[in-house]
Amino acid sequence: MTAIGTSVRKADGEVLLTGRGRFVDDYVLPGMMHAAIVRSDVAHARITGIDTSEAERAPGVELVLTGERAARHSGPIPHFIDPAARGGRRAEVRCLAVDKVVHAGQAVAAVVARTRREAEAAAGLVRVGYERLPHVLDADAALRPDAPRLYDDWPDNVILHNHYGTGDVDAALETADLVVTETIRIGRSTTAPMEPRGYLASWDRFDESLTVHGSVQNPHQLRWMLARSLGLDETRIRVVTARVGGSFGLKMQGHPEETLICLLSRLTGAPVKWIEDRRECFLSGAREQVHRVTVGAMRDGRIVAVRDRIVANAGAVTAQPGWAMPNMSATTLASGYLVPNVEAELHVVATNKPPLNAARGFGKDGAHFVMERVVDLVARGLGADPARVRRVNFVPPDRFPFRTATGLNIDSGDFPGLLDKALKALDYDALRDRQRELRSLGRHLGIGLAFELTPESADGPGTFVSGFDVTTVRMNMSGGVTVLTGVTSPGGGNDTAIAQIVCDELGVPLSWIQVVQGDTDRCPSGFGNFSGRGMVVGGGSAALAARDVRAKIATVGARMLGVSPDEVEVTGGVVRVSGEPDRSVPVPDVAAAVLTRAFAVASEVEPVLEATRAFKPGNINHVPDERGRIQPYPTYSNCLHAAVVEVDADTGLTELVDFVMAHDCGVVINPALVEGQAHGAIVMGLGAALTEELVYDDEGRLLSDRFKSYLLPRAGDLPKVRLEHQVTPSPFTMYGNKGAGEAGVGGAQAAVANAIEDALAPFGVTVTQVPLPAPVVLDLIERARSK
Amino acid sequence: MTRVNLTVNGRAREIDVETSKLLVHAIREDLGLTGTHVGCLTGDCGACTVRVDGATVKSCSVLAVGAEGADLTTIEGLAGEDGLHPVQRAFWDEFGFQCGYCLPGMLLTACELLEDDPDPDDDAIVEAINGNLCRCTGYAAIVRSIRCAADRMKDTP
Repeated sequence: MTAIGTSVRKADGEVLLTGRGRFVDDYVLPGMMHAAIVRSDVAHARITGIDTSEAERAPGVELVLTGERAARHSGPIPHFIDPAARGGRRAEVRCLAVDKVVHAGQAVAAVVARTRREAEAAAGLVRVGYERLPHVLDADAALRPDAPRLYDDWPDNVILHNHYGTGDVDAALETADLVVTETIRIGRSTTAPMEPRGYLASWDRFDESLTVHGSVQNPHQLRWMLARSLGLDETRIRVVTARVGGSFGLKMQGHPEETLICLLSRLTGAPVKWIEDRRECFLSGAREQVHRVTVGAMRDGRIVAVRDRIVANAGAVTAQPGWAMPNMSATTLASGYLVPNVEAELHVVATNKPPLNAARGFGKDGAHFVMERVVDLVARGLGADPARVRRVNFVPPDRFPFRTATGLNIDSGDFPGLLDKALKALDYDALRDRQRELRSLGRHLGIGLAFELTPESADGPGTFVSGFDVTTVRMNMSGGVTVLTGVTSPGGGNDTAIAQIVCDELGVPLSWIQVVQGDTDRCPSGFGNFSGRGMVVGGGSAALAARDVRAKIATVGARMLGVSPDEVEVTGGVVRVSGEPDRSVPVPDVAAAVLTRAFAVASEVEPVLEATRAFKPGNINHVPDERGRIQPYPTYSNCLHAAVVEVDADTGLTELVDFVMAHDCGVVINPALVEGQAHGAIVMGLGAALTEELVYDDEGRLLSDRFKSYLLPRAGDLPKVRLEHQVTPSPFTMYGNKGAGEAGVGGAQAAVANAIEDALAPFGVTVTQVPLPAPVVLDLIERARSK
Repeated sequence: MTRVNLTVNGRAREIDVETSKLLVHAIREDLGLTGTHVGCLTGDCGACTVRVDGATVKSCSVLAVGAEGADLTTIEGLAGEDGLHPVQRAFWDEFGFQCGYCLPGMLLTACELLEDDPDPDDDAIVEAINGNLCRCTGYAAIVRSIRCAADRMKDTP
């Protein structure tokens, strides 16, 4: 039986369906206290003083902690990705602001009390004195020489300034038949998982150790970070990632509250729990960029040059890796197209908005959005069909591995194949006819295409963005198998798919296998969840470890059967002589023999039924080439989105009529899990395209701070999203699988934007921003009319 | 403190709560039923959904004292002695969840819908779950799960 490739149900199904899934807020420890955080209501100010006296006298209060005192007991929080390691600037990040706040919502003090209500009530009694400083919320404005500066020791507000790409863009633009220049804005959206963040820290004063339960993606990196910020030895810290209620990048570590809650536990000697409320969760931004892009193309549709000047608003500096996302917006240009001349200039800018935090897409979404807008602008400029312009420019299937102008080495793919599948699913030609028909009736149907290339399973040299991971496969005396892996699952279900791999590789039934994730005391040192890596490196390392255990079982089983190891197979929980299914011995009997007959039938093997292996995929190369380019990704999933919309030109409302994504993530381990995540990512992109935006007032205070004003897509807002599959195996991973789960956001965003522009073609509208709620669409129509 | 008597998943319970306590907090803290989740406390996400006398209620938007005498069903009360409820089974088979945080609302809303309308079309399913947010699935698998549950429950009288 092969489990790989089948849609095995989620291993945690019964637990979650019966309400027994234990999320961080469900843990209750004896003597547990609750924390609430006092946050700045100004965007930029010096703290002139904090009066905690009233709060300290409030009922139930155990401790009120200010930044000054916190700084005496804890150090700076190390960056998940240090900007300095990438040639940028770092800022000192503390768990509570010390002298100065740099964004509204920044933590300035914390209260610990017997109950959450008491803690929140007392937090309202902390008086913070602010001497306001000029603030800047817009990234372009923050780049001006006279802009207010966030960090006194920086010469400006630039976290990172870099150039990417190769070729001669100027020369290519000179000879191009068509040159289009546009400014494209991507609004600030956020991940908004259903479960906000939360941590429960317990300091044990007897053996001076710390246990942290948290809704986090990267337990081992968090342990390292806490050791640094709290001045503890890593061996004294245990991080357990409670069941995670969705994450999408948000719960990668580097948040101030991680250090803060641990410190509160240490100072009070009690377990302290903090669960983020929804308003706090909305402080985290996912993306905000301006692209000033120029594209040159030839009459036949070939794009010869792309120049993009990107200004990314990273908000205030945090230790979380969100600031690094815009890097990927630059390096993922020009996506899967044969553009020989690419020049991207990137400014990642600090402003007095709250920080960017890692988010699904990790900046690649920005590249997809802009590149797909660019392709459509070319098609429009040439009067060509956008499908044809894509086909002309795609890297052809026989050119892989293909090195892009920015240095990415795309492993494999069949991009025209995806386009064919998507167009067929749409019945593209008939749909164009229908569009013409409706137009003659004054109705505005639009079709938008968007290609998406997702670099997956990243490795960042010198950072904890690691391109490998580690898994232990351990068989007990009864033949049961515990799989301990360094990758984690915030809900997507890679635990189930890893069990499928172990099932096939080890040769025991799925029901014998338990996967353990997210516990630094139990699992091997690994790197958790990000960059579509779970199955690439978690699955790959599980396969290697399972093979080692299987070899030992085969050796001893063969001896028990009186044959040589190469004459047996391990399958379905038995070792049997190949071709003689009746001559077999159950795997549990073999396991027992290895562990109890080490000086008899199992004397040939070392009596350890356990293997720990790392899997390092191919294709990653950190030695810069002659143009200084590195290649941090083993594999690149890809997909082609097609959106069909109808826009009401009187109200500006967009209705999603149809949506197709043709998807290629190589060999699929569990189709239903992959499809589920693809649906989720697409819908996240649709939200970011139409309704989701974090809006701030002029003082930098968040206005869209609840689900009534930050509008996630609801079931009734969506068309029936259809998926088409294509399998182009990666030559560089264990099974030819590519990453899954991350792709979908940027492509969906772009397809909708392209569809809206297409729908409004009779008005000559150019879509230059997302999101596109009704008022924005009306503005675009008005702007086009007045031209 | 106010004493509240109620039936929870078929069992008589008695709790003492402050009059200002939300039902969701009483369920989680005083009744110890942590399967009911807090996602927003503004009545928008539906992760706190329970059934009060048969009707789905967002338990973050009502007070615990209002549940005096009520018959309450939480996600923990769905499965019976003979195993999972058909709606739970369908959600498992059809991948109607990923992280599981939104399940209280999705499952209980589906049960209520299918009791009122054993054969809902997709529009009716979408309308029923429109008050519940999910960030993982994009809803497609949830609609499919409810459809599947309806088909199975029809076939087994």
